[in-house]
Amino acid sequence: MTDTLVQIDHLKTYFHTEDGVVKAVDDVSLHFDAGTTMGIVGESGSGKSVTSLTIMQLLAKSAHIESGSISFLGRDLVKLPETEMRKIRGKDIGMIFQEPMTSLNPVFTVGAQVTEAILLHQKVTKAEAKQRTIELFDEVGIPDPETRVNSYPHQMSGGQKQRVMIAMALSCNPKLLIADEPTTALDVTIQAQILDILRKLRDERGMAVLFITHDLGVIADIADHVTVMYRGKIVEQGDVVSIFENPQHPYTKGLLACRPRLDTQYKLLPTVDDFMEVATDDKGEAKIIEKFVDEKRLNELMTTGRGRLLHPKAELAAMGHPWEEGHHAGDAKMVADGEKPLLEVRDLHVHFPIRKGLFRGVAGHVKAVDGVSFNVYRGQTLGLVGESGCGKTTTGRAIIQLIRPTSGEMLFDGIDLAKLNPAASVFDSWPPTMLDRWSKSKQLRRLRRRFQIIFQDPYGSLNPRMTVQAAICEPMVIQGIGKAKERRDRAAALLEEVGLNASHLRRYPHEFSGGQRQRICIARALTVEPEFLICDESVSALDVSVQAQVLNLLKDLQLRRGLTYLFISHDLSVVKFMSDMIAVMNQGKIVEFGPADNIYANPQQEYTKRLISATPQDDLDHIRRRQAERKTALAARLSAV
Amino acid sequence: MAALSFVVFLSLVALTAPMIVGTRPIVCKYKGEIYFPATYYYWRILGLNTQAYKTEAVFTNDKFRGVYPGNLKKNDPDSWAIWPLVYQDPYRPIEADEWPGQPESPSGIEGAPNKYNLLGTNDDGVDVFAQMVHATQISLLVGFVSMGIAALIGVIVGALAGFYGGWIDVILSRVIEVVMCLPTLILILAVRSILDDITIWHLMVLIGATGWTGIARLTRAEFMKIREIEYVSAARSLGAGQMRLMFVHILRNALAPILVPISFGIASAILTEGALSFLGFGAPPPNPSWGTLLSEGRTRIQTMWWLVVYPGMAIFSTVLAYNLIGEGVQEATDPRTRETS
Repeated sequence: MTDTLVQIDHLKTYFHTEDGVVKAVDDVSLHFDAGTTMGIVGESGSGKSVTSLTIMQLLAKSAHIESGSISFLGRDLVKLPETEMRKIRGKDIGMIFQEPMTSLNPVFTVGAQVTEAILLHQKVTKAEAKQRTIELFDEVGIPDPETRVNSYPHQMSGGQKQRVMIAMALSCNPKLLIADEPTTALDVTIQAQILDILRKLRDERGMAVLFITHDLGVIADIADHVTVMYRGKIVEQGDVVSIFENPQHPYTKGLLACRPRLDTQYKLLPTVDDFMEVATDDKGEAKIIEKFVDEKRLNELMTTGRGRLLHPKAELAAMGHPWEEGHHAGDAKMVADGEKPLLEVRDLHVHFPIRKGLFRGVAGHVKAVDGVSFNVYRGQTLGLVGESGCGKTTTGRAIIQLIRPTSGEMLFDGIDLAKLNPAASVFDSWPPTMLDRWSKSKQLRRLRRRFQIIFQDPYGSLNPRMTVQAAICEPMVIQGIGKAKERRDRAAALLEEVGLNASHLRRYPHEFSGGQRQRICIARALTVEPEFLICDESVSALDVSVQAQVLNLLKDLQLRRGLTYLFISHDLSVVKFMSDMIAVMNQGKIVEFGPADNIYANPQQEYTKRLISATPQDDLDHIRRRQAERKTALAARLSAV
Repeated sequence: MAALSFVVFLSLVALTAPMIVGTRPIVCKYKGEIYFPATYYYWRILGLNTQAYKTEAVFTNDKFRGVYPGNLKKNDPDSWAIWPLVYQDPYRPIEADEWPGQPESPSGIEGAPNKYNLLGTNDDGVDVFAQMVHATQISLLVGFVSMGIAALIGVIVGALAGFYGGWIDVILSRVIEVVMCLPTLILILAVRSILDDITIWHLMVLIGATGWTGIARLTRAEFMKIREIEYVSAARSLGAGQMRLMFVHILRNALAPILVPISFGIASAILTEGALSFLGFGAPPPNPSWGTLLSEGRTRIQTMWWLVVYPGMAIFSTVLAYNLIGEGVQEATDPRTRETS
């Protein structure tokens, strides 16, 4: 069990692009044994994926291995010719990717695809291969494998497709399994199941797993050894307990600290910048200078900001969380009794028709949002959390009138928004009552100044052909605010407020990183001085260190401008960090609603409990418990033999 | 890149055709006034003959009969003129000594390429080089105007169908399918049998009015794709109107892919015009067109090869250039090819 399976020495993979050489993997050395999991953690651009592709020799044409060696089963994969490498790929090394949706061929049954992989590398008959496929499906936990092998990819859920991918990777009993962000596209409860399967298979088969992820919680859950990468270089290596217990490198410290943990005490998150500074020396090489978080900064992080702002007394009592001594956090406050909510959603339904057949007749409805009601008070943050398809995004879009709700009321400061939303186009309602339409849409347009939305995808939510200035000024143009010069000054001031530079105004979106783009989106939303902001998965696409900065920015803006947020996310720990109250959604309904701390500490509903337990935990007790469980399981297996 | 510079070169030739080859001075001073007799050719090619004759009213009065060099000096010894590079006319043969030292244009089999007729002459002794250069105007005009019409119709129809969806899309898509089934060539022949006096403008309108379906379908698809991207939702949530969404946000991003069928369309419009002229249904005969030249050479291909080879090469290389441009635009806008670059 202690033979070194993979030994990578001074590996350098560079990309030769038009803009010069990109050192994607820069002098990386690591080794790991059979039967263990090596976790590589890093943010986008850290070179973690390129490392795995280098092992598989699946690099893009522009990439070149400059030097170094990868020894695997006594051979150097770097020097191996392509024909030899093809025999190793899929046989001795299996790989699973992030996107289960696109890694399966949609025109073949999943069973046929796994069978094909077996026939490719093993001398067995078709019937044997098919039998083997069914066994594999059973092993990775696909229920009813005999019939499921005949399913097509579109007939399976994302989690099941990922299981098929694992089955395919395992089909030839590989000694090494490379998993590149295998759970990133999945819901937390599914992620927990997939991680379970990977752990089980690793221990049963004694294979090594190279697990690549950006998520430290997942690393804590599965890895034995951890490699932290930053800008192509390894900054720290060690076994999982020592990394989490006593991180040495400032980047690791920063990465660990900037994750909003479920039990965090911080009011603002520390960021990687608190732990280190990157300076360029005279040779143009980046150098990391360690900084220390002093008492003052720590205090600032703990106390800046306000305590939770909970719903009025009567509503809290009705939720089952009455205002009693010790039941809520010390600095929590309540909204005064009798205050009117800023947004009141009453029995909201959004149904989408399912159209079928030649004449596109309505065959049924998908009830995306099925009777949702909640209040948001001025200055509060309401978190809406749930897994994909639960209707949280539809709820947000219905409130902002991007989707026409089927029924229900949405009172914004006493005005029902649904009544103001004319049909999507003139042609949807016939005959159109033009005058009525016109006055209503004018009213709605004026109201839009008061509520805004920030979307998930920082790459899709800015028009690529508009400069930053045009994008930020657009709301003012639409709303007819100010003259050209005033608009420009305001745009510059807002950019400074969200932490960018006024000199960025003339640039185009593609020149910015994801985090910077999200800041631009925030600035754009703020131009019309809204009172209410919907953040729809606004930090989900960002790296953890950037996510921390944007979360801090949102909190800071809320304090300064008295904003009210509806914070929508699939990530319970982020929602808990941001929100005063949390609504947990499942299948179009709110299953549990209450103060953020109480929901976490004392969940009432089965679904909420499941969600909390599935969220990856990176506290040491959890890691140690996991390791102890594994040891006993191994011992039990040995004694059974 | 080569294709692009070829098209730029062709456009330059088309714009300056009367200055490259012609029998009318570019600028001349005659009886104390400045005239631009060469503009005659522009009006003539556009089919505006009355306007064309107006530019030479003074000279017609003085009985020039279209021959300038001798008459200018004879009627006004103080006159001066700037002449085109080559003294040849796309509409008539040249007589002996019209231009000092230049012989009468040969005709028929005699008219093989020579020092004065660079690409030879046709049956009537009209210079082929002059016709080819002036015909460039027709070809490019047909390409740009008919595709301009097609792009206008196609983008509007596609944008409406793609943006609104629903029953608007259903109806417009059926309209697109119906128009797609119309055979352009036969439609033009039919229209020609109804209208007695067909001009190049009728051709361009007909080619444009039937050639917009590809553009419309692509625009529709692009609009459907882009309207779901979040920056459109973002603009909507800011209160942007439908016109703003369609033209500021969606069209600007859809434009690059739409250019692909437009540049392929220009090539096919040029081909259609060539085919019509070849069949004798194109621009009325005295107007020079590559297709007309080809059809003249058709019966004499064994003896008068120059009537076929040069116009054929012109059509071939122009169509090829537009197709290459179309392919280039396609490659530049296709995200799959963009990512690897």
